[in-house]
Amino acid sequence: MSTDSFREMKSVSGPAAHGQLARSGPTEPALDAGASPTAGTGTLQPTGGGRKPVRRKGLSERNRPLWMLIPGGILMFIIIVVPLFLGIYMSALNLDQYSLRKWVSAPFIGVENFVEALTDSPLLHSVWLSVSYSLIAMVITLPLGIAAAVATQNAFKGRALVRSIFLIPYVLPSFVVATVWRTMFQPDGVVNSALGVFGVDGGLWLNGPQTYWTLILVQIWASWPFIYLLALSGLQSVDHEVHEASALDGALWWNKLRYVIFPYLKGPLSLAFLIGMLHHINNFTLPFVLFGVPAPSDVEVLPILTYVTSFQSFRFGLSAAMAFVSLVLIAIPLFIYLRAVKLDDAETPGGKK
Amino acid sequence: MRFAPSAKLAAVALTAALALTACGGSSSNTSASSGGAVDGAGKTLNVLTGVNNQYPEEQKKWQSDIAAKFKAKTGAEVKFETFASANDELTRIQTSVVSGQGPDVYTLGTTFTPTAYATKAFVTLSDDDWKKVGGKDRFNPAALGISGPDSEHQAGIPFVSRPFVMAYNKDLLAAAGIEKPATTWDELAEQAKKMTNAGAGTYGLATGYKDNFDPWKFIWAMSVQAGNPLVDGDKLKMDDPTVKKAYETYFGWLTKDKVVDPAAIGWSNSNAVAAFASGKAGYLMMTTSSSIPTLDKSAIAGKYAYSLMPTTAPGESSPKGDGDKAASILSGDNVVVADYSQQKDLAFAYVELITSKDEQLNYQKIFGELPANAEALASLTDPKLQPIADAAGKSKATPFTGAWGDIQLGLLNVTVQSIPDLAKGTVDESALESRLKDAQSKGQASLDRAAKS
Repeated sequence: MSTDSFREMKSVSGPAAHGQLARSGPTEPALDAGASPTAGTGTLQPTGGGRKPVRRKGLSERNRPLWMLIPGGILMFIIIVVPLFLGIYMSALNLDQYSLRKWVSAPFIGVENFVEALTDSPLLHSVWLSVSYSLIAMVITLPLGIAAAVATQNAFKGRALVRSIFLIPYVLPSFVVATVWRTMFQPDGVVNSALGVFGVDGGLWLNGPQTYWTLILVQIWASWPFIYLLALSGLQSVDHEVHEASALDGALWWNKLRYVIFPYLKGPLSLAFLIGMLHHINNFTLPFVLFGVPAPSDVEVLPILTYVTSFQSFRFGLSAAMAFVSLVLIAIPLFIYLRAVKLDDAETPGGKK
Repeated sequence: MRFAPSAKLAAVALTAALALTACGGSSSNTSASSGGAVDGAGKTLNVLTGVNNQYPEEQKKWQSDIAAKFKAKTGAEVKFETFASANDELTRIQTSVVSGQGPDVYTLGTTFTPTAYATKAFVTLSDDDWKKVGGKDRFNPAALGISGPDSEHQAGIPFVSRPFVMAYNKDLLAAAGIEKPATTWDELAEQAKKMTNAGAGTYGLATGYKDNFDPWKFIWAMSVQAGNPLVDGDKLKMDDPTVKKAYETYFGWLTKDKVVDPAAIGWSNSNAVAAFASGKAGYLMMTTSSSIPTLDKSAIAGKYAYSLMPTTAPGESSPKGDGDKAASILSGDNVVVADYSQQKDLAFAYVELITSKDEQLNYQKIFGELPANAEALASLTDPKLQPIADAAGKSKATPFTGAWGDIQLGLLNVTVQSIPDLAKGTVDESALESRLKDAQSKGQASLDRAAKS
């Protein structure tokens, strides 16, 4: 059977062929359930005349093994979509420690949780804290990461060692990072002693307004290697000829960096920015271990707030509403950003040659 | 991009939902009790308990010993599961509560018992049930104080007592010419001043302002001793002057009396224990018998003793209301039996075993925890333990309401948000008042919800 006739077949017998394909592929046995036993005979029908496809598919769209999405799709459905909708449903319930036992029949209160989350809780303050701290940390880590990547791009003695050292913060578990920093930031800890040598009073790092900057500082320390890694991968995708060409054109290092190399980094760095922001916003371990619960009000970031509402006050419904509101609030700028950098559009050259 | 905690919660809810459909509506039919011995041959009892980080090996050994004894008695196996943190425990309880399946017996901290009771997922013991665990009068009456909202409705069966006391450095007290430890908070501050020598790094009191529990215990104790039980019916009384006075006294040790190491604003309880163990503090506040192993290995081994914490409120000369009975919060562990359990009699038989006099004394010997069994408690003779045993009898339960978790968090939060002021040396009165007002309104809202359900 030639690949051509096979493709024709697929367009004719749809799901049956799917079953066939699934059986031959390394997928879950559950997929077979849909295919009837007679599917085999169906696929063997000659397809001489065949229907013409309505639209001619682009070269890269042909033969796409879309069925391969199914295992991932099923997992995604169970692990993300179902809990998401459960969460949304919960946000409309008055679900707390008193009604948890029979949570399905917890009183339905519509949007009351949302009203409370928006008007009578520190939610908006938390969103502001989360987003601003993530952004500041990100804006500072970007140049740090790029500079480190550029510096270790060309071979020099001991480069491998330096590169490995750069990765240490990235490899350490968040919990360890936070514990070590918390010890150093004690009122009589190393940080304040070190500052004291220069006559600077470090003040309180783990309480009060300064905690916001403590969080940013530790976050920067922990996450810049991620930017560095992605920047490095972007740099390595630059062809040798490009370097040669720009050298022949007489570009000096800054111009070469600015006009030749950086465009290559746009794709990986946009991605790093996006993933990094989400990572910062979702980071629970760092503030939780650094500051404990209840957190000082200057670092009551979103994950901490939802945690306290759920697991200290047992307001599961309210906390689900908070999580949902913040999801929406963050999804909007995210969507705009995605469109702006066109990460989702393969036609635009990002890191592409 | 859901947030971790809520996603986790949703996942728990989902698993629970799946579990619900899987074992749809299995009704509980308890095996008929035959009054005497329970026949558990071929059955397995599941017990969930906290991991003992201080004595992990001993805990494993104790568990296998108890399992052997239980097997000899009833023929049933015991399977122990441990949780590493309070958070683990909570997740586990929530999953079990929602799904209606899980361990048969849980060990809970006392302050968590009201919350657990509020879920109605645990057996409220009938007279008959009490008989099965050896009778209510086998327990230290004070220890029953937080088993339920009233003496007719009790779900928590006391297992161990862990009352709070203070430790004092005999040498430092003697050097300052103090004959016996203070019994009022004012006297305590006076004595502490005499012992403080900031130049030498010696302070009168050791306590951690950054601890996750200690601060609210001080405030609770001082308020109760001044005649304010904090929760009065369905009214929260956190805006009461007694509460403000309590905070001022507690903060005052650091800002006005200057009897606490300024670094204590970053301390948790373990830092305070370390400071006391190095001989740099006269009193170690809010500690339990579990500090004995640490202190006995330290520089001050043999030079310290325990004493009841003051029971007379700041500014008063004698205790008010229930004050003299509030030397400590009622603290320790309770065991509860799950309502969904299919083998409640077996569970009660297990509780009967571990709360018997011999087992309680054995447990005390291994882990240092005070027995909840009255007879066992009375038979302790170690003089060092005497004040602690005394405190076990003078412990008062924190208010039994599902809202307590929120109230406790509110009390603690006042301290957390005041720490920057503490570092500066003064806590602004109006700032303190506004923090109290905030805690009052949040706690009251929580109480209102508790009243409605």
